[in-house]
Amino acid sequence: MNETILKLAGSALAVAIMVAIAWLARIARPMTPLDEAGARLLIAEEFPDLSPDQLWVAGDGGGAVARAGEDALVVYRLGDSWVARSMPWVSALAAPVKRGKVLLKLRDPAAPMARLTVSGVSPWPPKSAQEVLAA
Amino acid sequence: MTLDPITPAFSPVDLAIPVFVVTILLEIILARLGKVRAVYEVKDTATSLGMGLGSSIAGAITGGVIFAASLWVYKYHLFDIPMTAWWAWVAVFFLEDLTYYWFHRLSHERRFWWASHVNHHTSQHYNLATALRQTWTGGLAGTWLLWLPLVFLGFPPAMVVIQKGISLVYQYWIHTEAVRRMPRWFEAVFNTPSHHRVHHARNPRYLDANYAGILIIWDRMFGSYIPEDDAEACRYGIVHNLGDFNIFRVAFHEWMAIGKDLAGSRSIREVIGYLFGPPGWSPDGSRDTSATLKAKWRARMATVSPAASEETIPLQAAE
Ligand SMILES: [Zn+2]
Ligand SMILES: [Zn+2]
Repeated sequence: MNETILKLAGSALAVAIMVAIAWLARIARPMTPLDEAGARLLIAEEFPDLSPDQLWVAGDGGGAVARAGEDALVVYRLGDSWVARSMPWVSALAAPVKRGKVLLKLRDPAAPMARLTVSGVSPWPPKSAQEVLAA
Repeated sequence: MTLDPITPAFSPVDLAIPVFVVTILLEIILARLGKVRAVYEVKDTATSLGMGLGSSIAGAITGGVIFAASLWVYKYHLFDIPMTAWWAWVAVFFLEDLTYYWFHRLSHERRFWWASHVNHHTSQHYNLATALRQTWTGGLAGTWLLWLPLVFLGFPPAMVVIQKGISLVYQYWIHTEAVRRMPRWFEAVFNTPSHHRVHHARNPRYLDANYAGILIIWDRMFGSYIPEDDAEACRYGIVHNLGDFNIFRVAFHEWMAIGKDLAGSRSIREVIGYLFGPPGWSPDGSRDTSATLKAKWRARMATVSPAASEETIPLQAAE
């Protein structure tokens, strides 16, 4: 039993060292905040069979939401990678904004929630959608 | 060294742990110096290595039951296969590797077993640390039963355990982008970084391919071989990538998704489909499976070049 615990402690220490070296090395993929063109490219790659029209890009470029018919196509940044999901457009429009982030419930145990930064130039719901709602 | 047929004389994986640590550090440092291609994201690395650590704990918990089952089956073995004979090791090498192929194929093509194996595929990176992102729920999924026929044939339990360990250690080094291609003869026979990159890719054209453990010959024989095409870089991860780095989400998300689907099931057909259908199965076909994703991809390629058939899709048109 003692030997097992010792082995485990040794492995945990080795893990800590490897993670620390990975942190020091800084060899993650270089990431730039999404702009409109970048967001369209990413969404086209993740949803190649859909053709979204309206596009909203998060204030910090950490994600985007596009509308394709009844669906909201959501992408958001995770580390040096991206996560993509779709959800009903109406649910996305009704998503709450808390502490500067719109909270999009994705209803998937693998990715329960997208939190995208809202700003003055990119409010939520998107301006175009607000106009549609007001009409 | 004596070779006890019941208790393994050594554990290939335990012996290899120092090699794992040194080579991961080496891959990171050489990538930092620009000598090899490798991408490491710190949280992703921590998750991969944490899964490896957790997997060894989970393995220790379920190992007893698996070992006891092997002993019970061995009581009824058909042939006396001596552990000291060279031909017995050659035979177990091929038979274990064939077993691994079918275990791995089942683990991708049926959701119940995918729920356990998906863990290994959740990183959007492909490096030596990804190799250690191992499942916590393999014991629960019961795929270890697939190795029992070898014991029933007469291969001593210790021999099967050692060969399984050798296979796992072999598969470690192929999780790298640092090696582009091995010599042609090697690529033809063995599983390599190139073949296994395809296995970890989420590009539709690469889905459900290259299930090999040590030998790629099984994929070539059973029609699941897809070569890496330099014109289409592998994009790693799963079709619907995980939303965060939470290690418990990595370990249990697909089990949770199955539970959610079962709770909403309205018939036995749906229960069976959700449990044992291909990943992505749904009663109304509204979700994507590997097959539908590949079909949609082929359709897109055909519109890019209408003459393109399944085999002759132009490389430059690939996404
Ligand atoms: Zn796999
Ligand atoms: Zn792998």
